[in-house]
Amino acid sequence: MSGWILLPVFLPTIAGILLLVSSFREHLARTDGMPVFIEDKEVLGKLHQFTAIVLTVSVVLALLAALSGDRSVTLFYLMKDIPIYFHIDEVGRINAVFTSIVWLAACFYAFVYMEHEGEEKRFFGFYLLVYGMLMALDFSGNLVTLYFFYELVTLTSMPMVLHNGTREAIMAALKYLLYSMLGAYMGLFAIFFLYRYCDTLEFVPGGSLNPQLVSGHETILLIAVMSALIGFGVKAGMLPLHGWLPAAHPVAPAPASAVLSGIIVKAGVLSVIRVVYYMVGTEFLRGTWVQTAWMVLALLTVFMGSLMAYREKVFKKRLAYSTVSQVSYILFGLSAMTPAAMTGALLHTVFHAFIKTVLFLSAGAFIFRLGKTRVEEYTGVGKQMPGTLWCYTFASLALIGIPPASGFISKWYLAAGALDADIGVFRYLGPAVLLISALLTAGYLLPIVMKGFFPGEGFEISEKKEAAPAMLVPLAVIAALTILLGVLPGPLIHYMSRIAQALM
Amino acid sequence: MNPVYMAVAVLLPMLGGVLIPVIPFGNRKRMLIYIETLVLANSILVFSLLLNRPDGHVILFRFTQNLTVSFRIDGMGTVFAGIVSVLWPLATLFSFEYMEHEGHERYFFMFYTITYGVTLGIAMAEDILTMYFFYEMLTLVTLPLIMHSLTREAILASRTYLYYSLGGAAFAFIGMIFILVNGRTMNFTWGGVLSASSLGNSITLLPLIYVLCFCGFSVKAAMFPFSAWLPKAGVAPTPVTALLHAVAVVKAGAFAVMRVTYYSFGTELLRGTWAQNVVMGLTIFTIVYGCSRAVKETHLKRRLAWSTVSNLSYILFGAAIMTPAGLVGALAHMICHALIKICSFLCAGAVICKTERSYIHQLDGLGRKMPKVFLCFTVSGLALMGVPGLNGFVSKWYLAAAATDSGNPMAWAGIAALLISAILTAIYMMTISLRAFFPGKDFDYSTLSDIKDPGWMMLLPLGLFVVGMVILGLHSEPLITALESIAAGVQ
Repeated sequence: MSGWILLPVFLPTIAGILLLVSSFREHLARTDGMPVFIEDKEVLGKLHQFTAIVLTVSVVLALLAALSGDRSVTLFYLMKDIPIYFHIDEVGRINAVFTSIVWLAACFYAFVYMEHEGEEKRFFGFYLLVYGMLMALDFSGNLVTLYFFYELVTLTSMPMVLHNGTREAIMAALKYLLYSMLGAYMGLFAIFFLYRYCDTLEFVPGGSLNPQLVSGHETILLIAVMSALIGFGVKAGMLPLHGWLPAAHPVAPAPASAVLSGIIVKAGVLSVIRVVYYMVGTEFLRGTWVQTAWMVLALLTVFMGSLMAYREKVFKKRLAYSTVSQVSYILFGLSAMTPAAMTGALLHTVFHAFIKTVLFLSAGAFIFRLGKTRVEEYTGVGKQMPGTLWCYTFASLALIGIPPASGFISKWYLAAGALDADIGVFRYLGPAVLLISALLTAGYLLPIVMKGFFPGEGFEISEKKEAAPAMLVPLAVIAALTILLGVLPGPLIHYMSRIAQALM
Repeated sequence: MNPVYMAVAVLLPMLGGVLIPVIPFGNRKRMLIYIETLVLANSILVFSLLLNRPDGHVILFRFTQNLTVSFRIDGMGTVFAGIVSVLWPLATLFSFEYMEHEGHERYFFMFYTITYGVTLGIAMAEDILTMYFFYEMLTLVTLPLIMHSLTREAILASRTYLYYSLGGAAFAFIGMIFILVNGRTMNFTWGGVLSASSLGNSITLLPLIYVLCFCGFSVKAAMFPFSAWLPKAGVAPTPVTALLHAVAVVKAGAFAVMRVTYYSFGTELLRGTWAQNVVMGLTIFTIVYGCSRAVKETHLKRRLAWSTVSNLSYILFGAAIMTPAGLVGALAHMICHALIKICSFLCAGAVICKTERSYIHQLDGLGRKMPKVFLCFTVSGLALMGVPGLNGFVSKWYLAAAATDSGNPMAWAGIAALLISAILTAIYMMTISLRAFFPGKDFDYSTLSDIKDPGWMMLLPLGLFVVGMVILGLHSEPLITALESIAAGVQ
């Protein structure tokens, strides 16, 4: 019996729905449309307790499920020959683990942070719901199940984007929804053809393409795969459909931005991995125009994202552009189709999740305590909130890729993988773009550290306004992870490279 | 069961409907009880017919020795009759609350109930002549329903409807005569009644006649370039738009197209001819065209009408694939779209009835005031977009699977059209839901005081439709198995 591995899916989903339904009634009583602040501390405490207990239990269950071996379970048949089927394999396991860690940390942070945003019931309701959907996505064992939960992740995470209810937030949420839907449909287009040309829609390492069926139809299949790459790339913020990301991530409340940027973009990455490495297989794609186009798009995104981040002055927007750029590092690694590059991509998936969470949570802390949103205003923040800025600094170093922080390891593998891939001019172009982007990354992250700690002469040091421990502790834990994983990368590298070897 | 009951099922609502203005009911409530009982009893009769299908046929009357109006139930007829008989009592229940403020109720319900019988006549028609007979009658009995408000706009709309429908029927007539002259029989027969040998020299005419016939019948299914009448007909009271212009009338068009394609002309002779390319091209174009117009439209009911235009062409597209799998997809979408669209139209009706707002920009903030209605609307929107877990995904899946399997590159383009249409659907449906639930921070809710959810007669059908969408979305296997046996010619 492996049915229990679905507990981390069902528990938060049901709890989230319960929370939402209970808040629904509250809305009806209100008529002015303003956000509902829960004034009563006792009620708020109970809400926090409920969320914390449900999420902690779910996370424990998720980790148990993820680490208990390759289990699978068929839930029911969605269509005649297509079940909703879950199977925990290596890639799903990795995603489930880092998702759980980040989700839990950001949740405790949110307890404090959401006090100034209001509508906490709705927020935590959807927060739990999205967690359940993500677990289902990570554990899904065939392409239709993946698609099912991919759509549900979009729909359930959208309310987190429009949380503050301003015109800007609502438009950003709509943009998020429509871009994601467009991407999902492009993915679906590919699924229809994969359904026809693959032996099974279940994920098989190395793919299950049936050469007999394919012969003569290579062109349409390549078009379909390209459509899937662009489509699922939407969630990962890849050009040309990245436009929603810098709009949607910054308007969300900080803990939501953190999980959107750190975790939910990885749903796109996971889907791409599934299609390329578990359905089509690298053999079919290597050396085709699809690989070239994919690499070009990924590298363009890496460069353009960094450049936009460098030019952006609103702090959270800058971080969003940084996500655009960094996730395409991962996609570039996947497109090179060598074991080393794949290892790098998987490592970067994990590292970027932690790093971006720290960056967004510290940005949120600055906004929460100081009300500062633009980078010019950050002069001297290190004097006021040294703990937060230290966390930010560590994560920045990791993202730039300065040894021994974690980002260095993943970028090393990405570059090394690209160098020994058989991809023509991209062998050199790829690593070069990564390097330039790293410089830009330093350019957009470090000035805040500099100005924050060294405001220069004549700056009046105001009193300390450090973030509350409940915010700082989750921040510090994840920040420590970003460094620790760089110092002790051995087991992780070993694990990832084993996966990568098995896929090629 | 005795075949005679088929004739009863067709005639009972027609006669019962005619009597509505005549019977002295005394008060409104008694009239409503009479109507609902009549419709419900007929639905029960139809259901028992479908479950214990009579073996023989029944001849209603004869024009000549060979030309008869007769009924027989087969698999495809079961699907259409099933849809109609499930939806009719529910939509009737909904219209009781709605029609309270429209006036002329007796005449409205008279024609509304007669239409039920006529639609069943199309579903149970044994041969092409019977279908054509009831098809023409359908035009005539639904005409007064569009005119109902007697405004200038309504009269113009009904005139447009009349011209389009009669014109379409004329083209379809050509097809019918072709079948009468060249076919082995005029009864609907799986695989068609034509063969290359029986056609002789007329085989060169076949593609042309088929295109004419397809276009003729698809006028009622509002295929481009014959779609203009449908959005205009939105001036009719919402129960009419919901039941007739999303289900009964327009699906009668799609049903007729499938009938003549698979049961009269036969797909063997047509597959791969230019005729297939032409009709498939038209349906693909309509799929995208309807959605684009829906996005542009700012009037709620007209937007839904354009959406219907697009979705009916999904069905026609399935028919135009001309494989059994295509028919499965088409029938599946016929069922799924019926549920979805009647639900979204009735939600629109509830809004119009309770708030008298009919433009989309007026819907701001209504979601918090009418949460149940807008929840149903949102679910139907998601289903229409094809979000998995709801029934719209299932039918799209089978349509697309049929298209990939057919190996026809044009059908592959059709898949792309389906998905483009899906994203446009997301645009035109989700903007409404978002607007209703999240009007923005500084929205003044005091402008919406005393608006609330409608009563049970409106909410019950909506709730049932939503439940139906979810059940079909999660558990489609029995339905698809049944449809596959129909499309294999077994039933």
